[in-house]
Amino acid sequence: MPLEVVVTGLGLMTPVGNNVSSAWENLVAGRSGIGTISQFDTSAYEYPIAGEVKNFEPSNFIEPKLLRRIDRSTQFAIAACQEAVADAGVEVNSERPGAVGVLLGTGMGGAHLMIEQQRILDEKGPRRVSPFLISHFLPDTATGLVAIALGAHGPNFAVTAACATGGAAVGEAAETIARGDAEVMITGGFEAPLTPIYYAGFFAMKALATHEDPTQAVRPFDADRNGFILGEGAGALVLESLEHAQARGAKIYARYCGGATSNDAGDMVAAAEDGHGIAEAMRRALVRGEVRTDQISYINAHGTSTPLNDRVETTAFHNVFREDADRLMVSSTKSMHGHMMGAAGAVEAAIAVLTCHHQVVPPTINYTTPDPDCDLDYVPNVARDAKIEHAMSTSVGLGGHNSALIFGRWEGN
Amino acid sequence: MMDVPRVVVTGAGVVTPVGIGLEATWQALLAGENGIGPVTLCEVDDIASQIAGEVSDFDPERWLNRKDARRMDRFVQLAIAAADEALEHSGLDVRSESEQVGCIIGSGIGGIQTLEDQFKVFFDKGPGRVSPFLVPMFISDMAAGQVSIRTGAQGPNVNTVSACASGADALGAAFETLRRGDALAMIAGGTDAGVTRMSMAAFAASRALSTGQNDDPEHASRPFDAGRDGFVLAEGAGVLILETLEHAEARGAEPLVEMVGYGQSADAFHVTQPSENGEGAARAMRMALAKAGINASDVGYINAHGTSTPMNDKFETMSVKTVFGQAAAAIPISSTKSMIGHTLGAGGGIEAAVTMMSLREQKIHGTRNLVLPDPDCDLDYVSEGAREVSMEYAISNSLGFGGHNSCLVFKRFTA
Repeated sequence: MPLEVVVTGLGLMTPVGNNVSSAWENLVAGRSGIGTISQFDTSAYEYPIAGEVKNFEPSNFIEPKLLRRIDRSTQFAIAACQEAVADAGVEVNSERPGAVGVLLGTGMGGAHLMIEQQRILDEKGPRRVSPFLISHFLPDTATGLVAIALGAHGPNFAVTAACATGGAAVGEAAETIARGDAEVMITGGFEAPLTPIYYAGFFAMKALATHEDPTQAVRPFDADRNGFILGEGAGALVLESLEHAQARGAKIYARYCGGATSNDAGDMVAAAEDGHGIAEAMRRALVRGEVRTDQISYINAHGTSTPLNDRVETTAFHNVFREDADRLMVSSTKSMHGHMMGAAGAVEAAIAVLTCHHQVVPPTINYTTPDPDCDLDYVPNVARDAKIEHAMSTSVGLGGHNSALIFGRWEGN
Repeated sequence: MMDVPRVVVTGAGVVTPVGIGLEATWQALLAGENGIGPVTLCEVDDIASQIAGEVSDFDPERWLNRKDARRMDRFVQLAIAAADEALEHSGLDVRSESEQVGCIIGSGIGGIQTLEDQFKVFFDKGPGRVSPFLVPMFISDMAAGQVSIRTGAQGPNVNTVSACASGADALGAAFETLRRGDALAMIAGGTDAGVTRMSMAAFAASRALSTGQNDDPEHASRPFDAGRDGFVLAEGAGVLILETLEHAEARGAEPLVEMVGYGQSADAFHVTQPSENGEGAARAMRMALAKAGINASDVGYINAHGTSTPMNDKFETMSVKTVFGQAAAAIPISSTKSMIGHTLGAGGGIEAAVTMMSLREQKIHGTRNLVLPDPDCDLDYVSEGAREVSMEYAISNSLGFGGHNSCLVFKRFTA
């Protein structure tokens, strides 16, 4: 039998707040964290908008020598994991060696580090390239560093699945516990995509939103949506076998019920119009979690605010939930924190956990004009108190990747 | 609750510096051929290491039309060639059951050539000229994504990254996906195309590469030899078809070998150096053997990580001694990297295919270039060349930067 898995710790570093309590407060208040890009010269762009983490002081989390060597994305990951582990109260060093593992996802790895070193290679030659580039650029860097910092000797790798990365990582970590390969997993996703070259690449895809007021640029499911906005940050969760959590008297936020990944096997960039890929991930997660569609109260949607995604996702919700779809609450918190790429699935999983814990649903902000193709209850603009038995989080990525996760209310505390 | 399904391998495909295709590669390995030569894929005149294992006659248009090939980085092209061969080998008809087939292909470094090319565009011509395909070509999950798009596999789909253990963890994750009933068949393995200017410069800067044998590439990759001075960067892909035994039997496919164990651990010690006495690698091997339900003495062959760096080979030897004790001296160990170099995330996939062939044919390839014994590496590395053996179980080790350790266990198939 797979072991039961619960969530005992959370950590967030996001455009709407640099820890769980401030991020949750802002999400529930419907405050946008989107603004004008400050990290690089954006004079080539008319609407340089993104969700940046504000007032980030990495030296509060990381010792100076290591800090100099690591990418901004890794800094976010370490900060969020520290918060989650402290929140969970796990004493990693007192656990059996190998009982605690780390599994984090990132879409792109050390983007800032790579651009800086590419400039050095071009201008000064290969002998000036940093000896730390390779070991700090790869997507698995943060999992290794978090394990070293905590002494976590268990299963350790990264998962990438484009924009579905964070969700895929959390699901894989949960399965590692369910099959008994670890008792505690520190998991999540992180990303710092705001470098000039990646921004140029996304801009060239003609998928970024434009708006005079940055805080109104991301408007998921609204008729006037016109693209997504990049965000940066990290989300971390401590997952634990129920038995282990209860044995140490841990506070439990929510149950992890089930998760799944899938692939559209269609186009390299665009999601399939009928939403079969994300529908498949949702169905698999429901089966894995032994949860019925009428037991899901809330979905934290991928909801990027592109014309295609929000329509496709809505179609998929209808196809999976059928007569239960009209009763669902669906919101996109990307309306406030933007699309955090490889971090998105993990940050949104943490938000789904918090909705189960607080029994409050954060809204979709900037929702003013209904779109006939998007006809569900998107919890427009104002948070809602609600009875949440189960919450789902969905993610859809480039390359046809999809993930879905389900969390359940914990009533045992 | 149903029993945990047995998992078998029903097909394999590889693209390596010693051959395109499983049979070509396997025969070259048995013959002890060399795949290392001067770098031709990028400019290396000013880089300390100037040799690599390149797949020199790889023509992506054998598998892809020109337009599709242009929109895929080389690491994806290599994966497609390997996956096509593996699927043909297994006879699996993915489209007849798309939702039951998943794909997990690990890549350590992703589309680094694409990134370098676009950096050049960005610096020389400005941000307005950067390709809309930069992101979808560069991100490291695109091998798994594109193989699914090509084959129609709609089941579980991710990329696992654990540096040089990425391919092994992809196979491990696929194995576990089948065992928990989330799919009936998985296309899984590793790919990397890391012979690029930036990657060569960066690995050289980290002092991991062989630099003393630029004039004698044939003898540069010498795992476990006293004269080893670093690994030789290489490229390639290795993909296996894993499926439940029940599924393979139902469609009349021949199980080639059984996959019975997977262990994974972190050193949690240092970013690039192995932990003391190789204890992290030892834990991964023990975990894999425990999952397989076998004793160390049941193992008849170890396909080592064996990179040819002074540290890896010494510490891997220690870890084998820790796990196998007195029996360690009697177990043949060989390093495929002695002939093909270090293909990064592809290594675990390629070496799993090699381990599968070893069990099938009861033959193991040797470790090339092992002439000067190193007192720290005193086990049986099959330095004399290929050997016939009699064995039931074989393991494949993969150990990565960042302290990732993975071990896969395969068993000769018996119904």
